[in-house]
Amino acid sequence: MANTIGGLALDSRWTKASELHVTREESKLATLELHRLKPFFPNGLQRGSLLEITGAKSSGRTSTSLYILAESISRGETCAFIDLNNAFHPASLPKAEVGLNHLCWVRCNGNTEHALRSADLLLHAGGFGVVLLDLCGARPQTLNRIPLSYWFRFQRAIEHTPTILLICAEQPQARSCARYSLAIKNRKFHWKGKEPFAILTALESTAQNNKVSSIRPEPLLIQTGEA
Amino acid sequence: MYASLSANNVPAALLLAVASRFSPQVERTGQNVTFSIAPLRQLIGSPHQIASEICRAGYECKLPASLAIAANPDSAILLSRHFTGVTMVTPGEERLKLAPLPLAELFAYDPVKLTPSLLEILLRWGVKTCEDLAALPEKGLSERLGAAGIYLRRLACGTIQRPLRLKTERSSYTIEKELEDSLELLEPLLFLLSRAAGELCHRLRAQSQAARELDLQLTLDEKGADYTCRLEFPVPLSDARTILKLLQLHLERHAPGAPVRAFRLHLEPVEPQRVQGGIFLPPTPAPDKLQLTMARIAGMVGAENVGTPVLLNTHRPDAFTLTPLPGSAHAENQPPETLRLAMRLFRPALHAQVQVVQLAPKNLAASGIRGHVLRHAGPWKTSGDWWSSTSWSREEWDVALDDGALYRIYQESASSEWFVHAVYD
Repeated sequence: MANTIGGLALDSRWTKASELHVTREESKLATLELHRLKPFFPNGLQRGSLLEITGAKSSGRTSTSLYILAESISRGETCAFIDLNNAFHPASLPKAEVGLNHLCWVRCNGNTEHALRSADLLLHAGGFGVVLLDLCGARPQTLNRIPLSYWFRFQRAIEHTPTILLICAEQPQARSCARYSLAIKNRKFHWKGKEPFAILTALESTAQNNKVSSIRPEPLLIQTGEA
Repeated sequence: MYASLSANNVPAALLLAVASRFSPQVERTGQNVTFSIAPLRQLIGSPHQIASEICRAGYECKLPASLAIAANPDSAILLSRHFTGVTMVTPGEERLKLAPLPLAELFAYDPVKLTPSLLEILLRWGVKTCEDLAALPEKGLSERLGAAGIYLRRLACGTIQRPLRLKTERSSYTIEKELEDSLELLEPLLFLLSRAAGELCHRLRAQSQAARELDLQLTLDEKGADYTCRLEFPVPLSDARTILKLLQLHLERHAPGAPVRAFRLHLEPVEPQRVQGGIFLPPTPAPDKLQLTMARIAGMVGAENVGTPVLLNTHRPDAFTLTPLPGSAHAENQPPETLRLAMRLFRPALHAQVQVVQLAPKNLAASGIRGHVLRHAGPWKTSGDWWSSTSWSREEWDVALDDGALYRIYQESASSEWFVHAVYD
């Protein structure tokens, strides 16, 4: 049956734009398996995708981001950390003694433009496993001024490459460009012993992958030391 | 076919002059010169005619030398050393001709591969000449003497085929240029430097070399003011575009203070880095591309803000240095077993007002942080480097505030002032 638009009959081989089904091509590269984040990413992270981790202070967003970075480094990949507010604590990276050798750290001294341009340069240079763009602590007014086209540009830069762009911020930034969006909320801190001899042992949070509606908030336990 | 001229107590230049009449590619070994006569077959004729031409050239130069012509350079050299006059060997008869040579001659020919201890062993076996050695089975020799035994036997049989070992003159990787008019802008200077860098990189690649260092000297219009810069590349480079871009980024950051009258560009050659990528290894950034990217980022955020962190061997909080580039070696390790609580540091630490009740912090106020302490842990006393100017002494606390965040705060022992060091995240 022929389509009609404005009284004009169209050939049956033409399809209306509204009926088009845009399918996203799956990457043929092996995914990045995250054993401790299996409830949120059951199939691992697709290569060439953009992941957002959002949460408030002390929610565990940095710990989760560094865990993903360490997972990538443990596979022998080189990673990059773009640090907007010079807040990265190198010793906090899991397996830091090996991992730091394969990490490029860019400190941007609070300059958002430098952070975004550095991310652009690193993504276009290629060859990185995970590029972490840490925008935590940036003023919301500054982040709101970032045009959406930046995120589309980043998404296009990593498409069909083995690189994963990880954005860590307080609020979602990349919106529709992000393939995964993990929102983390602080629940409680675990202490051992009584004051004044108490010791912090873990942070319990809840996390939810907002891009997969079927996955409900799951608890996320972040310990103070490596097991 | 190869010809070898051998002469004792004759200047090496004279031997070389005679050999150079017949071939531009001459191997020099001690008192020998060896060259290929294959291209002369069409110009002069048979090996006999070539030999007589070489003899005539030697006679004209009054060169008392022995000449040997054989199918391979080693046989030609050995024969010219041992036999006086002209020795011609047809291909396949090297073994017969070399047969009377004493073994010591072979050991004197190649003292690097053939050690005197090997000669002693062979003499004890009763092997004295090349004929004796050639008669031994190769398999048995390799079992008893290894690779050196096989090499020695093949030398005695005259069956080693190898190209001539030619000594190439070391190329110069420096270009100097005096300009007719002084250049004030960077762009025309870079245009000239691009040509020079392209020429130097072409020379490097022709010699299978790469550059590890770049030296640039600019003669400025101001008297006595010269501009020099030295760039050290973390990986050897031979791509003119990359080198020029790195130079451009450096000159943009550190511009010469006056118009440029002349320049001298030098590249320090080294062996290029050849790393074979594995099929099953994860991809890593191309070293030259990464270097360029890091230089671009360094030009934007400052060189001190880019690099790979290295933890220092000290208990001093936040002690690290930055090295220029990440390691290229693949070092797979075990993935982390747990999520580990990380800290986000405040650099510099935030000055804080802390209300202390019963020796424990109760209220905290700092830039952007204000709250009542719900739970605390501490204090932990740390100190160190008391022998140097970077000494520290502090009492650290972990405090959970009513805003839901958990901070690491500390009080300096010397000043009793409070600071917020980090937030757990």
